[in-house]
Amino acid sequence: MNSQTNSPVNSLTPPIQIENLTYAYGSAEAVRDLNLTVRPGRCYGLFGRNGAGKTTTMRCLLNLLRPQSGSVRIFGLDPAKQEVEVKRSLSYVPDQVVFYPWMSIRETLDYLASFRPNWNREIERELLQRFGLDPAQRTGSLSKGQRTQVALIAAVCPETDLLVLDEPTSGLDPIVRREFIEAVIGAYQQGVPGHRTILVSTHLIAEFEGLIDEFTIMDRGHAVLTLDADHARERYQKIRVGFAQSMPDIDLRAALRVRRDGRDLELVVNGGGAELLERLRQHNPQTLSTESLTLEEIFVATLKS
Amino acid sequence: MLLQINFKSGLPIYLQIVDQIKAVAASGALRPGEALPSIRPLAEELRVNRNTVAKAYSELESLGIIETLPGRGCFLKENHSALRKEVRRKLLTDEIDQAIVQAHHLQVPHDEFLQLVHERLTVLDGKRRDHEDQKEAPNGNAKESQKESAKKNEEAQ
Repeated sequence: MNSQTNSPVNSLTPPIQIENLTYAYGSAEAVRDLNLTVRPGRCYGLFGRNGAGKTTTMRCLLNLLRPQSGSVRIFGLDPAKQEVEVKRSLSYVPDQVVFYPWMSIRETLDYLASFRPNWNREIERELLQRFGLDPAQRTGSLSKGQRTQVALIAAVCPETDLLVLDEPTSGLDPIVRREFIEAVIGAYQQGVPGHRTILVSTHLIAEFEGLIDEFTIMDRGHAVLTLDADHARERYQKIRVGFAQSMPDIDLRAALRVRRDGRDLELVVNGGGAELLERLRQHNPQTLSTESLTLEEIFVATLKS
Repeated sequence: MLLQINFKSGLPIYLQIVDQIKAVAASGALRPGEALPSIRPLAEELRVNRNTVAKAYSELESLGIIETLPGRGCFLKENHSALRKEVRRKLLTDEIDQAIVQAHHLQVPHDEFLQLVHERLTVLDGKRRDHEDQKEAPNGNAKESQKESAKKNEEAQ
């Protein structure tokens, strides 16, 4: 039986669906009652500090860990029961990339290609050239950045509809990090525009800001905030206001954070910014400005409040 | 045309791209019939999601500002004021209202506000003419820089 022809995958099946996922290492709970859905074609960010439960969640998706309760589904399939189909439908760049050190890049890619029904040689050639990699070089002598580049090539060439990136850019230099993200956009997303789904876990949020459609912030195993990225930046605003004379008496309970210094005031709000602005204006401030929080600032504001 | 994304503006990313392309089209920096950058290199350059750029382009296309020629790319339309006159007036009215409210809060009186509008029209018209001059006389660099510095002085005042 050919597993590809009877695959339940269709354009509406969420590439990732996590329901009430819980996982503990002994008595230490790593993930608690996590719910998360990644829709087709989206780039989804999983943000959290070290130890927040991101990697445990990833490991459950990849069947490297079995959920203790709750369920995970990849394109509607259970990774524990339909392991082959699930593995075929996604590719993965881990945080620690390990290859057989005695193999060359060429041999490594050929070896990895042998497990895949499909391998795009043209993209492989393009990316090797783009990263300036010598296919004859042994992987044991590659830098950390180069190993990540080879892992990304190996993840893009099979042309899967789901790419899972676990802290892909931590520990890499800024140039390599930029090139990595550009290759994800150019080589991976370009493949079947609108149908390539990405799940990326990272604490280097600023770099992925433009790529992220939607995100979940995890803290101590819990999902504390899930939002659409554009919507988040619209809701979370920083308002700076300065008064000519003394500070008027204004109700600031709606603010998430308040900083005061003499006649100056800085507020962070989560929604309700327009209404608060209007009230501030009624007191005829000398200066008044607003800006949105970036995703990284939203992350900090969420975990510090 | 160099686009720039500002994550602190609070505007959706695709809308920032739409607005900036509208602005370069209105200023004459991008002329009818000229090509827009392709989606892939633009997405890579801005380091934004490819789908976001595609969404901006399809929005511009539905507004009648650009057109896609299969296999050739996206181009600024010859006559890109496809919106009906009342719709265009409505869009502009909203923007003007915002500026009026802002003027009120900053305590700029009406006559000064109107004067400022005239000044800006003159400055932007000048920029537009510069773009057209460049098109006709690519060697007029000396004249160009003179004009530029004159304008900078004007703006500094």
